[in-house]
Amino acid sequence: MSDPKLKFLVVDDFSTMRRIVRNLLKELGYTNVDEAEDGAIALQKLNSGSFDFVVTDWNMPNMDGLTLLQTIRRTPQLKHLPVLMITAEAKKENIIAAAQAGASGYVVKPFTAVTLAEKLQKIFEKMGRTA
Amino acid sequence: MSEFGGMEDLLQDFLVEAGDMLSGVDNKLVDLERSPDDRGLLNDIFRGFHTIKGGAGFLNATELVTLCHLTESLFDKLRNGELSISAEAMDVILGATSAVREMFGYLEHRTQPPAADPALIEGLRATLAGAPVAPSAVAGSGVQLPRPGEPDWELLHAAVTGKPVSTSPAPRVHGAANAAQASSPIPVPAAPAPGSPEALIKAAVGRRSIDAPGGNGPIGRREGERQRDNSIRVDTARLDQVLNLSGEIGLTKNRLNALRSDILSGRNDTETLHALDLAVSQLDLLVSDLQNAVMKTRMQPIGRLFQKYPRIARDLARNLGKDVELVLVGEDTEIDKTMIEDLSDPIIHLIRNAVDHGVEDRAGRLAAGKPEKSNVRLEARQEGDHIVILVADDGRGMDAERLRSKAVAKGLISDEEASTMDDRQSYNLIFHPGFSMAEQVSDVSGRGVGMDVVRTNIQKLNGTIDIRSQQGKGTTLIISLPLTLAILPVLLVRLGEQPFAVPLSMVREILPIDPALIQEVGGKATMVVRGEVLQILPLSSLLGWPQEREPQYGVLMQAAELSFILAIDSFAGREDAVIKSLDDFRPKGVAGVTTLSNGQIVLILDMKELLGGLGEQRGVSRASLMRKTEVLALS
Repeated sequence: MSDPKLKFLVVDDFSTMRRIVRNLLKELGYTNVDEAEDGAIALQKLNSGSFDFVVTDWNMPNMDGLTLLQTIRRTPQLKHLPVLMITAEAKKENIIAAAQAGASGYVVKPFTAVTLAEKLQKIFEKMGRTA
Repeated sequence: MSEFGGMEDLLQDFLVEAGDMLSGVDNKLVDLERSPDDRGLLNDIFRGFHTIKGGAGFLNATELVTLCHLTESLFDKLRNGELSISAEAMDVILGATSAVREMFGYLEHRTQPPAADPALIEGLRATLAGAPVAPSAVAGSGVQLPRPGEPDWELLHAAVTGKPVSTSPAPRVHGAANAAQASSPIPVPAAPAPGSPEALIKAAVGRRSIDAPGGNGPIGRREGERQRDNSIRVDTARLDQVLNLSGEIGLTKNRLNALRSDILSGRNDTETLHALDLAVSQLDLLVSDLQNAVMKTRMQPIGRLFQKYPRIARDLARNLGKDVELVLVGEDTEIDKTMIEDLSDPIIHLIRNAVDHGVEDRAGRLAAGKPEKSNVRLEARQEGDHIVILVADDGRGMDAERLRSKAVAKGLISDEEASTMDDRQSYNLIFHPGFSMAEQVSDVSGRGVGMDVVRTNIQKLNGTIDIRSQQGKGTTLIISLPLTLAILPVLLVRLGEQPFAVPLSMVREILPIDPALIQEVGGKATMVVRGEVLQILPLSSLLGWPQEREPQYGVLMQAAELSFILAIDSFAGREDAVIKSLDDFRPKGVAGVTTLSNGQIVLILDMKELLGGLGEQRGVSRASLMRKTEVLALS
């Protein structure tokens, strides 16, 4: 399931963070990565390109990660997309809100490539089960 | 040994981006003081700390994470309306941003920052707790630090969605809840710790000594900034344009290659020549477009520099018991990146002067019939091929008479000199080394080591600084800078047949040297130009060359404090020089070289260095200036 050709969209308003995530994905062998600066730009890109996976920050200007997630789940041609939420919080409310909105996974900053790999693996497994 | 092995690049990116973000936060805090209920502002500030925290986590900067987390929690409560902003809270928050900036200073030196001042952390916690909310609520949601480990995502997901999860055993849910509770009893003082706000003000105010131009700041931020010089953030659209243009140039080059083959093989009909003409014109256009496009990649909005000033002005005004609003105008004006860095300190100094000396205190303003709040305007705009930066205050203006008498009292000028000075010349006295405007030396300014440094720094950028002032109305300092340092307008002068280039910004005028008008003052050849006695310095003697003929022309030059006449044989006009540095080989007094349109290579002179080596021995006697005349006459 972990096809290295998978096309990722990394959404974060902090370019350093996008670079971190991109590097970590590269470490895991995923090189097909595009970036977006906030939820609104991400939606534009998602609607116009064929992405396989979304990794998004929570706190962003214009459109935050949660709204992005909710919008993805509401949009018929996007709702199947796996969405991994990245946040700096391990707060229960946040995790619950993400789960209710239909996040596929949740990872807390800072994380290593190993953690990210585990998270992705779990999402792929889940997708494999439901598929 | 760096603590950031393998993360150097990341660290640099982080510092640049987070530094910008922190300046933005600082600015928004100043706005927040004026409109404390602005949810948008609170949200933006919250996000700023949150983002910095996230990045700091990846750099393992634990103390920075802790500090940002506390501050962020505070803003979370502020934006949710659980807390409202008070003067004390504001002080604590400003103290926190200062501490974050200090931690950036450590990171710039590749060391992990130590823990923030305990008084600050205490203050943050106290402010967090000091709201009309139950302490338990504060401890439960706010102060709990993020755990770097697992967030029990799968289990919570399962709990919420009701789906079974096979990977983890159930008791972990319980364990997580316990862990969250165990981590919450962080000491929360019932009331704000007495004395801590004062300590924070002191910390915030004390920081300024680091920023002071010429100050021997302990953190060494300036050194760190040097290291940052190497990277630049460029809009990808601009890079695309560069790429596009270089592609076009490649195509035109191919076309020229084909034409060359045609011509070499004997085709020189009208059609071929016309095609050649067309291709060369096209190349001409493309190359100048490319030059522009490349220059644009170095241009940055000056707002990036401006945004850190409102906070500085605010801190200073508060310290002095004044109410000052710093208004920023023209933040979109673009300026060469290297200049942005070198302008930082001079502008800080001018703003400090405006707040400290320029504007009156409250009582003074009321007595003068002015509004209590004073206004300092920091403005940038492009005027032709120059960038103009203004620092304008609506204060008391400068007193030319007082400046003159002060300069006389300090022995900087004589009584006679003072009596011939007009107002504008008198204002310029403040650029004199050792001149201080303040009657009493305050801890923020008034040591008289500022304005001359400001002017020297501006001149280093080939810029000028000027003063306009009106008593009772205010003072404006005007900095004028070239658009870029990559292209230097020069005057081409000749010594014999050898051309040299001198920076045009230093040239005031060109005049013929009439041997009859040369006078000797103190054994040195001089000429009087409009009442000003100016030394004549032959370029040949500055370069250590033998003088082969009597100089024909003089270039009246202004280099820092010194005005003099540079004696040359002839001049060849002005040119926009593209400076090429002479990497390893750097003869004294040569700033670099440039190539003229005819392919000739010209040395660009560094006048300051040429003059500097000679000290007081610069002048030459009239006889030595004129000697060659006699030799020539004999032969």
